[in-house]
Amino acid sequence: MNHQPSTIGAAITARGLGKSYRVRGHAPPTLFGSVSSLVRRQPYETFWALRDVDFDVRKGQTVGVVGPNGSGKSSTLGLVAGTITPTVGEVRTEGRISSLLELGAGFHPDLSGRENVFLNGSILGIPREDIKKRFDHIVDFAGLHEFIDMPVKHYSSGMYVRLGFAVAVEMDPDILLIDEVLSVGDIAFQLKCLDRIRDFQRRGKTLLFVSHALQTVEEFCDEVYLVHGGRLVEKGEPSEVILQYIRRYMGEGGYLYTQEFGSREAEFVDVKLLNESGSDSGLFTAGGKMTVEIRYKAHKRLEKPVFGFSLKTGNGYYIYGTNTQIMNVPIDAIEGEGVMRLDLSPLKLLQGNFFLSLSMHSWDHATQYHRREDWYPFAVKNPTDAHGILEVDCTWEHLGGTANDR
Amino acid sequence: MGERESGGIWLPFPLSPFPPFSFLCIDMITLFQTIRSHRELVANLVSRELKSRYKSSALGLLWSLLTPLFMAVIYVFFLRLLARGVPLEQIVIGVFAWQFTVNSVNSGMSAITGNSNLVKKVFFPRVLLPVSVTLANLVNFLLSLIVQFVIIGIMLVMKGQFISGWVWAMPLLILYHTMFNLTLALLLSSANVYFRDTQHLVGVFLSAWFFLSPVMYDLGLLHTFAGPDSLIAGIYMLNPLSGIITGYRILTLPGMACPFNGWAAAGFIWPLVLFMISLKVFKHAQKNFADML
Repeated sequence: MNHQPSTIGAAITARGLGKSYRVRGHAPPTLFGSVSSLVRRQPYETFWALRDVDFDVRKGQTVGVVGPNGSGKSSTLGLVAGTITPTVGEVRTEGRISSLLELGAGFHPDLSGRENVFLNGSILGIPREDIKKRFDHIVDFAGLHEFIDMPVKHYSSGMYVRLGFAVAVEMDPDILLIDEVLSVGDIAFQLKCLDRIRDFQRRGKTLLFVSHALQTVEEFCDEVYLVHGGRLVEKGEPSEVILQYIRRYMGEGGYLYTQEFGSREAEFVDVKLLNESGSDSGLFTAGGKMTVEIRYKAHKRLEKPVFGFSLKTGNGYYIYGTNTQIMNVPIDAIEGEGVMRLDLSPLKLLQGNFFLSLSMHSWDHATQYHRREDWYPFAVKNPTDAHGILEVDCTWEHLGGTANDR
Repeated sequence: MGERESGGIWLPFPLSPFPPFSFLCIDMITLFQTIRSHRELVANLVSRELKSRYKSSALGLLWSLLTPLFMAVIYVFFLRLLARGVPLEQIVIGVFAWQFTVNSVNSGMSAITGNSNLVKKVFFPRVLLPVSVTLANLVNFLLSLIVQFVIIGIMLVMKGQFISGWVWAMPLLILYHTMFNLTLALLLSSANVYFRDTQHLVGVFLSAWFFLSPVMYDLGLLHTFAGPDSLIAGIYMLNPLSGIITGYRILTLPGMACPFNGWAAAGFIWPLVLFMISLKVFKHAQKNFADML
C-alpha cells in the first residue's frame, strides 16, 4: 500500500467518495416493474446522495457532521461504516469500527435482554468471552438489572436504546460512529452517554458524529464538516462552520425554525450584529463587545413602543430575554425611520452558537408590530479555559484550612 | 469486522490448473473462511433463529417434529383412500426431507429482507444470514431425523427387518442436501431484495415442486407411468430432490433398488455448479442490499 503523506495517521480517509441512487418512484421493487421498465426502456433519473467528498479524519480526532435534513450526513456515516457501497471513490478506515447508527438494531423482540446482549455483541464483533466479562458492566450501565431476563419486546423504547448503547460502547472500538442517538433516553442517561463519549476522547479514539444538536457538536468536536446537497461544503473550526451553516441554510428565509410575524405598523429594516472590530461577521469573543444596531421604519406614529430581545442556544434553549419596558427605558413615540442600539458588552455568553430574536410591540402588549424569532444567528468564541455557555460572575476566597496550622 | 473483502487467500496447494474451476471455487473457500472467522456470530444467529421460531409456542421445538409427522399421516391416509399402496416408511422419509428444503426456502427467502435494519445499520458479512438460516433448519432436520429413525426402526422391526447397512453414508447425503438448500437460500434471499414478487412466485413453484418430487410416492410409482429408461423418467431425475429423497430411502430402508443412471448423475452434479454460481450472485447482489431495503 502506498500511503500518501496526507493519509498518515488518518483513521478515516475518503477520496472522491460518491453515492448515487436511481430514482424510481415510491413503489417497492417488483419483478413486473423491472421487466416492464426494461421493455419500455424508461430513462431513470440518477440522484446523487453524496458526491466528490474528500476528507481525512486523524486518529483521536472528533469530527462533527452537520447539515440540513437529507443533505447526505447519514450516507456519509453509512459509507464509513461499510453498510453502503460507494458508487465512486473509496473510503478507507483503520481500526475497529463500531457504529451507534441505530441502537439495538440487532435485537430480536422475542429474546431476553441477556440473550440479545450476546447476540448484539457478536454482530458487532465482540468475542463471547469479552461480553461475559463485561456483562455486569453492560447491565449496570444500562440500568436494567431486574429486567435483563425479560423479552425485549416488553421493554420501553428508552430501555431498548439504553441496552443498545451499553453494548455498542462496550465494544471498545477505535472508531465510533454516532448518528443522532444522543437525544434518546432520559436526562440522566444522556449525561452518562456524554460522559462515555468524553472518556472515548480521552483515550484517543476517533469519533465521527452526526447531530442536529449544534451546541453538542460545538462542545465535543475538534472539526466540523458542513454537508449540503450531497457535497462537503465547508470544514473547519466548529463555531465558524456551524455559524456558516446557520447563516447559509437556516437563517433569514432559510428552513430553520424562524418565524416572522406582526402587524407591520413598524418594521425592522436592517439589523447588524457588530463585534469590537465593527464587523458584521457574526463572530464574537466572550467578554468582548457586542452591539446590535437596529434600523426600523414606522409607517405611522406609534406611541410608547417597546423594543425587546431574547437569546437562545443553538439547541433552542431559552437563555435570556428582556425589553425596554422591563428595563424602564421608555420611548415616547416613533415615526418614520430610526435606529435603536442594543449593547450587550461585555458579552456574558461564553461559547457556542446562539440565536437572537427581536421584537417591537405596543406598551400594553396588545399589538405586536414586528417580531423576528431566532432570526439572527451568531457564534461566540471562548478565549478562557472555563467551560459552558454563560459566564457567571464569581469570586473565590480561601478562608483558611488545616494546611495553615502546620 | 476488520476484513471487508478477503482479497488474497493463501492456500497450501494450487487450486486448479483449470481457471474457470478456481474462479468458481474461490468463493466457496471464502465462504468457509468467513464462517470460521465468525463462528460465534453464526452460532448466535442460528440460536436466535431457533429460539425465535419456538419462543412463544407451548410445544416449542417439538413442532419441528410434529409438523412433518402430521403431514406424513395425512398423506398416508389419503393415499390409502386412493388405494395406492406406498409404504408408510417411504412417505415419512420423503416428508421429513422435503420439509428441510421447504423450511430453508421459506426462511431463506426472508433472510435479508427480514433483517433489514441489521443489514442497513451494521457491517458484517451478509452471507452469514442465509447461512445461519440454513444451519438452523439443519439443526431442526437432524432432530427430526432422530424421531424418524425411531419410528422407522419400530416399523421395520414389526416387519422383522432392520435398517439398511448403508446408513453410515447418510452424513454425506445430509451435507449435500444442506448445500443444495443453502444454494436456494442464497439465491432467493437476494432475489427477494430486488423483486418482492419472489415470495409469491416461490409459493406457486413449491406446490408444483412438491408433486414433481418423490415425497408422497416413490420412483416405483413413477415407473408405472413412464418406464425407468424413458426420457420422462430421465428428466425427472434432473430434479435434485428426486435423487436426494430417493437417496435417503436407499440409505435407510433395506433392500431398496438403486435406480441411478446418467440422468441421476447429471441431477447430482448441476446443483454443485449452481452452488458456486449462487455464491457469485450473492456476492454481487449484496452491494446494493442497503439501498434496496
